Order: sequence, then structure tokens, then C-alpha cells
Amino acid sequence: MLKKVFFLAVALALLALPALAQDAPPRLNVVDYDLCGDFGGVTVTVVGDAGHNLAPYHFWADDFAAMGITIEIIEVPFADVYQVLKTEFVAGSGAFDVVTFYPSYIGDFAGNGYLLPLDDLMAREPASVWDPNMDDVLAPFRELYNKWGGQTYALTIDGDVLVMMYRADLFSNEDEKAAFMEQYGRELRPPETWSEWLEVAEFFTRDAGETLAGEVLTQPFYGTAEFGRRGFSYAWYLNRAASNGVMLFDEQMNPGINSPEAVAALQNMIDTLKFAPPDVLNFGYDELRDAFIGGQLAMVVQWTDVPKKAADPSISRIAGKVGVGRVPGFEVGGEVAHRSMMPVGRVVGVAADSDVPEAAYCVAKHIAYNTSLENVSTSLTGLDPYRMLHLTHPEAFAPLMGQENAEAYLAGLQVALADGYPDLFIPGAAQYQDALDIQVNRALAGEVSAQEALDAVAAAWNEITDRLGRDTQVAFWQQALESYRALGLVK
Amino acid sequence: MRKKKPLYLRIIMGVILMVALIFFLFPVMWMFLTSFKTQDQIFSTPPILIPPAEQWNLDNYVAVMRDNKGLQGVRDTTIVAFSTALISVSIGALAAYSLARFRFGGDEFSFWIISTRMFPPVASAIPLFLIFRQLEILDTHWVLIIANSVFNVPFAVWLLKGFIEDLPVELEEAALIEGASIFGAFWRITLPLITPGLVTAFLFTFVFTWNEFMFALLMTRRAVRPMTVVISSLAGGHTILWAQIAAAGVITIIPGVLVVIFLQRYIVRGLTMGALKN
Amino acid sequence: MFSSSVTRRRVAFAFVLPAFVLLLAISIYPLLRTLGLAFSSLELTVSPAESFVGFDNFAKAFQDVRFWNAMGNTLVLVIVGVAIQLVLGVGLALLLSEIGFTRVVWLTALLLPVMIAPVVSGFQFRVIYNDTFGPLNYLIKTISGGFVTGPPWLADTRTALLTIMMTDVWQWTPFMMLLALAGLESIPVELTEAAEVDGAGYWGAFWRIKIPILLPVIVIGLLIRVMDTFKTFDLVFLLTGGGPGSSTETIAFYTYLNGFRFFSMGYTAAIAFIQLIVIIVIARIFLVVQKRMRGGEIQ
Repeated sequence: MLKKVFFLAVALALLALPALAQDAPPRLNVVDYDLCGDFGGVTVTVVGDAGHNLAPYHFWADDFAAMGITIEIIEVPFADVYQVLKTEFVAGSGAFDVVTFYPSYIGDFAGNGYLLPLDDLMAREPASVWDPNMDDVLAPFRELYNKWGGQTYALTIDGDVLVMMYRADLFSNEDEKAAFMEQYGRELRPPETWSEWLEVAEFFTRDAGETLAGEVLTQPFYGTAEFGRRGFSYAWYLNRAASNGVMLFDEQMNPGINSPEAVAALQNMIDTLKFAPPDVLNFGYDELRDAFIGGQLAMVVQWTDVPKKAADPSISRIAGKVGVGRVPGFEVGGEVAHRSMMPVGRVVGVAADSDVPEAAYCVAKHIAYNTSLENVSTSLTGLDPYRMLHLTHPEAFAPLMGQENAEAYLAGLQVALADGYPDLFIPGAAQYQDALDIQVNRALAGEVSAQEALDAVAAAWNEITDRLGRDTQVAFWQQALESYRALGLVK
Repeated sequence: MRKKKPLYLRIIMGVILMVALIFFLFPVMWMFLTSFKTQDQIFSTPPILIPPAEQWNLDNYVAVMRDNKGLQGVRDTTIVAFSTALISVSIGALAAYSLARFRFGGDEFSFWIISTRMFPPVASAIPLFLIFRQLEILDTHWVLIIANSVFNVPFAVWLLKGFIEDLPVELEEAALIEGASIFGAFWRITLPLITPGLVTAFLFTFVFTWNEFMFALLMTRRAVRPMTVVISSLAGGHTILWAQIAAAGVITIIPGVLVVIFLQRYIVRGLTMGALKN
Repeated sequence: MFSSSVTRRRVAFAFVLPAFVLLLAISIYPLLRTLGLAFSSLELTVSPAESFVGFDNFAKAFQDVRFWNAMGNTLVLVIVGVAIQLVLGVGLALLLSEIGFTRVVWLTALLLPVMIAPVVSGFQFRVIYNDTFGPLNYLIKTISGGFVTGPPWLADTRTALLTIMMTDVWQWTPFMMLLALAGLESIPVELTEAAEVDGAGYWGAFWRIKIPILLPVIVIGLLIRVMDTFKTFDLVFLLTGGGPGSSTETIAFYTYLNGFRFFSMGYTAAIAFIQLIVIIVIARIFLVVQKRMRGGEIQ
């Protein structure tokens, strides 16, 4: 009985709480902008992954109100966005106006006619109202993640790219440097190449009881860890494969994924696991981040929001000890080619069957425009920079991490983005990725060898291409290659 | 009275129960403790088993219920789960009686009923979505009550059929001879005797619906947001709100516990026996 | 008994009508639609066009290594996992049925796992099993004084599936327990006591009286558990994503990937029907037992 009373009391207490006003960052007023005219009280339905990445719609609530737009937000769990959007699109339910999605699906969504081409709206006069300033958006996002078939279907709101992070304090420790010199006959430095990565990882892997930088370890320390869990292990592999000159497909869409270079890249990743924690094969984003900022790893490849977290002493044991650098590469023809995968990211588009396409566009544009500096520079969202404007305004990030850190962070980001390598974005991308991911993961788990795994990927990819229609898929791929070429990713 | 068991047997029983209790309750305790942790205490080495005393407050509970729409989730899920359980057990009991006592439609009909629960929901989700869209009931409580009932009625029918078949048919026949209608015999004789079955069926259809995720995800948007969807929403791409998920978990077991506490007396020996003796 | 068999049939039909209408109305269209799709190619990622392909999808399934691997993993969970749940559940029910007034507390406590939604428990177990940060291996090490090191539960192909199974056992044993307990409650005390007085002893009474009466309820519980274990998805999705490698990829997870990630609707439908057939076969076997145990019929 007492229990019941207690539960009832808790329930009532929770009910009695007033609703919390949404936080918004202080206005920076760096950017001038004009609003679309008054739409006279239309409702625009926005759908996106639940949580803090929808916060910008609250930041700019006054502007939407000024345009006569009421925003209704549908929140979908992060892991389920695609299936929910796709189901509604297939059913033609017309439930959404502004759609947030991962750019891997642009080929699917634009190709199936779910999205409105934005070029006409973008070109309208006056430009101060309608032009989303696309030239300022960093090229990989603009060219690969916003366009389909030569038209613009989406505007980037979140830039994602992988960077290398390392323990600067360990790499500059005199004892460690000397020991490394003795063991490997060269200077200790953050790895430039994936073979250096292996050596450094081996060097820093220590058991409890051994010393590290003069201190006796109470628990094991590891050289590195990977995203070993199913889902994105393929991206950590493609960092290596892309830098080793592997093309996923040739012009005619014959898989290049089982070439000797591709196998060598996978073997490098397999070998790395010897210098990683024993449960690395179940490391997702969270485990990988916390193992690093908990001070158990010497270096790691991660998304660009992790340096922000590593710099925060309330959650990080290594604040102030972190260096950010380029993801290593393979030496090809005497030169080291660096490639950083750009998995996930977010873009917004306007649903083709929206009743209020102009208002929807104005909402999408307002979230994606220069004004987004305020969205990407606050800890109230998880959005990452994607515009030149973001990279050139460290002062906007200074309140979060200090001017000096902000400058270093943005510089590191710029370098990583210059190495940026896109996720597949042709229709069926998820199938190709999954086929690669499971085989990479099997090779990591020791179920098959690197060669067997990648041969299986090639076979699976051919099966997928045939099933989806080889002719159309080849055409899509050649179109994608155009964009790769425009960016200099392939010759 | 029952004979007392030998001492060794009682000791063994006690030990087994203790082991079982640890096995089944450890994760529950872990969830309870996690619900008082801060985000940076989730992944630490060595793990933090018991959060510091000053953290024993309701911050995570308030956060999930107020800021992250937990209240709406609890409201929607409660409505859906109670309605589904009520509907499933009611029409399930009727059907079960017909199948058990009249062999309605024979074995094949019974089998068809249970087979509707066997089909993988992923395959039927999109056709169902189209039906519900035609009916214009997407994003309402009704859509989830109907969808969940389809999966839970077969369970209720079969479970209750088992319980009814266990009853000696003579009791009902006696009532019928005394002039009761069939429904009267069902209502006054059969139902009271299978109360443990009814309670069990209610509890599990409630729990199945309470825990259901896929339909909850696909068939709702904004007006209705069941708790499982609210909880999944706490796991973002780069931020999993572990403590809030745990707090939501603690809250979501409360209705189930209340159902057990309120209904457990019907699963107790004596009621059944009393009825049998009359 | 009744005035006529017509009345009898009408009453029987009236009783079953609500369930019949609901199930037919909601399940017939998806079933037929999916049946049609199983013989078609419909790749929604590239186009909404549907074309008839005969048995191609089924032929593909029979050659699909991932499909069979997933079937194998699922059958391990179904056969071994559900058997463990059965034994533990009935055992605990027997114990609980011997307990007096404190039983409510025990019952409530032991039922808790079933009440925690898989989306919640999945996140708890992801931390609990974690080798680096989790409490399980930490406690194993601390309690054993450092002599025993727990395995990396979810990160090793040899233990991952067993760990998923253990989690499923944790979640669903209470289900079997409560079903068995409810079944035990409907056994008249006099029956067992009479048997024990006759010199059959506890175990004699257990096998001769309790088990036969429990059997119908147990069979239904088993049937439900087998059907639901075939749908094991949430735990896999949250704990391992099917890995490491392909060691925990279940058929429900693979079906989900085909349906909701690849939107390859023809193949999804085909493998859904293969699953349906497998479950029907298993269910039929169970029901042979169930049939023998059937109770009386109103004549």
C-alpha cells in the first residue's frame, strides 16, 4: 500500500511540473539575413531525428513566427529515421513538409521523386531572401550530399567527418620518445601512415603494472581501438581502403573492393585489433569515445564532435592532452594519400507533395543558411560545421571551448574535410554498405580471411546491382563518379 | 494441512530462490542505480555501482518525464495497453470457450487463429500501414489498439482455451441442466474458475503491448507517442541518454507492478477451490 | 443437451465472431499482399515498379548463406533458449507454489524482467556486459579476487549468441513461470495430497498429477515463446547489431534489414513465408501433444 501511495505521489509530482522553456544560445548577430514574406499562418511539419539536433527550430522560433509559419515537429528515434520516412513516402501519406535525413539516402529519395528540386526556389529574387549561399558550403557536402542528377534537392545542416585524435602528452614524453627510437629506429610521432599506426599502437599497448610516461598503470592501456561493432565498422575500413587507392567500383560498376590493395587495407585493420581492448568488436560510438576520453587509448579515429568532448574536464580525464590530426593514409606511388570518411551527416529537403512548398523551403533554408553558425557552435545541438563561414569564425566557438582551442579545432576540421571521402549515396546505398559491413566485421571477428571477406563483398555487390537493375545502377554510379571527379577524389 | 518438507529440501529451495532472485533482479537493480547517475558516470573504470549520495534525486526522472515527453508516452502507452488487454481478453475468452467446448471450426480454425501471430511483423507492416491510412486512423490510439489486438487476441484465445480444457466439463453441464443459458454457464461457472488464466492473459497482453515498438514507431507521428518510441528517442546518434533511459525504464515497470499487486490475489489458491467445491 | 444442433452452432459462432472479424479484417490483406510479393520483384529503393518473378525469391533464399546462418542462430535461441526458460520457469513455479504468504513479494520481484521493455533492457545490458566499463566482469574479477576474468561477452563470436540467449532467458523465464504457476493453481490440492498420501511421494505426485495437468498450459506457453523467439529482434539490434561478424544475426534481424533498410520487398516477403512455414511445422508438432491432452467437449 505504501508503495502505491509513493508511486502515485511521484506521478502527481511529475505531472505538476511546469513545462520547461526551451534554451537558446545567446544571439551572435554575426550574420545578416532577410526573411521570406508573411505566409499568413501556415503550418509546416518538420520531421527529424529526435533530440538536440532539432533544437535550431526553437532557436529561430521568432523568425518563423515573423514569416507567419507555425512549426510542427515530428521526432523520430535516430536509428529509425530512414524506415519511418520511407514508409510514409511509399504510402504517399503527405505527412511531412520539411524532411531531415542522412545524405546516403539522397539517391533513393530524390531518385524516387519524394523530394522537390530546389533550384528554382534558390534562384528567386531577391537573393537576400531566397539564396541559401551554396558557394560557402564546403564542396564535398555541396556536390555529393545535396545534389542528385545535377539538381539540388537538399541543404546540408550537419557536417560529419572522421578525424584522428591522439594523446599529445604521450607523444611528446621524452621517455616514451627514447624508448620508441630504440625499438623502431625512428622518431615517435602521430602516425602519418597506416603501417606507422600499427607500430605506434603496438608500442603503446601495455599491461597493468607496466609503466606509461613514468606512471605505473593500474589497468591495461591500449594503443588504439576501432569502431568494431556492426553498423559503421565499414567506414573505419574505408578510411584505409580509400587511401590505398581502392575504388569501390569501376566505370561499369564492377566491384574493385577485393583488389590486393583492398585486402591489404583490411589486413591492416585486422592487425590493429591486437592492440585494442578485448571487447573492441562491440565498440560503437559511445564505447570508442569513452575509452579514449577515459584515458585508456593512445589514439583513435572518431567523429569531429569527440575533440569537443575530450576538451571538457567534467567528462574527460585527458582534457588538454589531446591532439587532432589527419586520418593516416597509405603510401601510394611515394606519396601518402589521406582519406577521411564522411559517414552520417544531415541534410534537409522539401517533400514533393508538401502543400506549402515555399514556406517549407523558407524554413529549410533558414536552418541551413549562414545563420547556422549559431546552430553548430553551441553545445545545445550536436551539429557540426559545414560552411566556410563556420570555419572562419572561431570566436563563435570560443564560449564553448576557448579561443585557442576553437582555432585549433576548426583548423583540424578544415584539414580533415579536405581529405573528406563520401559515403555511398546511390540508390541502394544501405544495401551496399551492409554487405560490406558484415564481411568486414566477419574478417575482424576471424570468421573469414580478409580476402574471403572482400571476395564475398564483391559477389554480394554484383548481386545487389543485378537485382536493382544493372543498367540504371551503372548510370547512377557514373553520375556519382562525375561528382567524385569534380572534387578530385578520383582521376 | 500439507506435510512439512524435510529440512534439506527447504534449504535447497531457499538457495535456488536466492540465486534466481539475484539473477533476475541484478539487471533491474542496475537499471535503478543507473537512473541516478550522471552522463559521465555511465562509462567509467572501474564501474560506479552505487551513485554518490548527493545524486539520489529525481533529476533524470524529471528530465525524461517533463522535457523529453515521458508523460505523453506513459499516457499513450497506458491507454493503448489497457484497452488492448481488455479487448484481447474479452473477445479472447469468448472465442476460447467456443473453441474448447464446441470445437468450433475444428483444429484447423484454432490453428488459423494462432497462425495470425506467427507472421513476421516486418513483412506485414507496410500493407497494414496502407490499411490504416485508408481508415484514417494513423497517429491515434485506435491504430495501436487494433494492431496490438491482432497479435494479442490469438495469445489470449489459446491460453484461455488451455485453461478451459483443464476444467471438468461436468460443472457446466450441471448448470445447463438446471436451466442456465450457455452464456450464463460461461459467465457464472467457467469465467470464475479460470480467473488465474484471465489474470495471466490480461497481464501478458498488457505487457506485450506495453513493450511493443515496431507498430508504435511506424503508426504514430506526433499526436500519439508511446513510451517505447519516447525511450528510443533518447538514443541519439552521438548521445545516448543512458540515465534517462534507465529512469524511463523504472517508470515503465510501475504499471506492470501495480497490475501484479492488484491482480495477484486472483492467482492465489482458494478461490478456484472454493468454486469447485460448490 | 441443447434444443438443437443449430442453436449449438449459432451460439458457438456468436462466441467466436468478434475474434474472427478482427483477425480476418486486419490480417487477410497483408497476408495476401505479401504472398503476391513473395513471387515478385519490388525494390522500393529504386522504383515502385513490381514485376512477377516466379520462384526466384525462394531460389535466392535457399542459396543465401546469410539467410541460413540467421536461421541457424535463431533455431539455437528457439531450441536451447526456450528449453532453458521452460525448465527454469516450471521449476520456479513449483517452488513458488510451495511458498506461503510471502509469495506476492517473490512473484512480483521475479516478474520484473518481463515488464521492462526490450528497448530499455537492451541499453542496460549493453553496459552490464561491457568488458571495459561494465559491472559484470568487474564483479566477477573482484569477487574471485582477480583469479577469474569474464569473457568479452558480446564481442566474441563464441559467446555473443549465448549472451543474447542468456538475456532472453532473463527476460522471458518469468513468463513461463507465471503460466506454469497459474496452471498449478488450477490443480485441486486434494489430488496431489491424495497421491502423496497413497505413497507416491512428492516426485511421484509431480510426474503423475501435476505435469499431466500442467501440460496443456505449458504447451501453449512454449508455442508462444517459440513464435516470439523467432521474432528476436530488439536485443540483437541494441546489443550487437548482428555481430561480431554474423554470429548473432537472427532471422528477424535479417528480415528487418531486407524490409526496412533495403526495402527489398519481394525477398522480404519470401523469407517471411519461409519463416511462417517453419513455425507452422514446429507448431504442428507441439499440437500433436496438445491434442492428446484435450479436455471434455459439451455434447
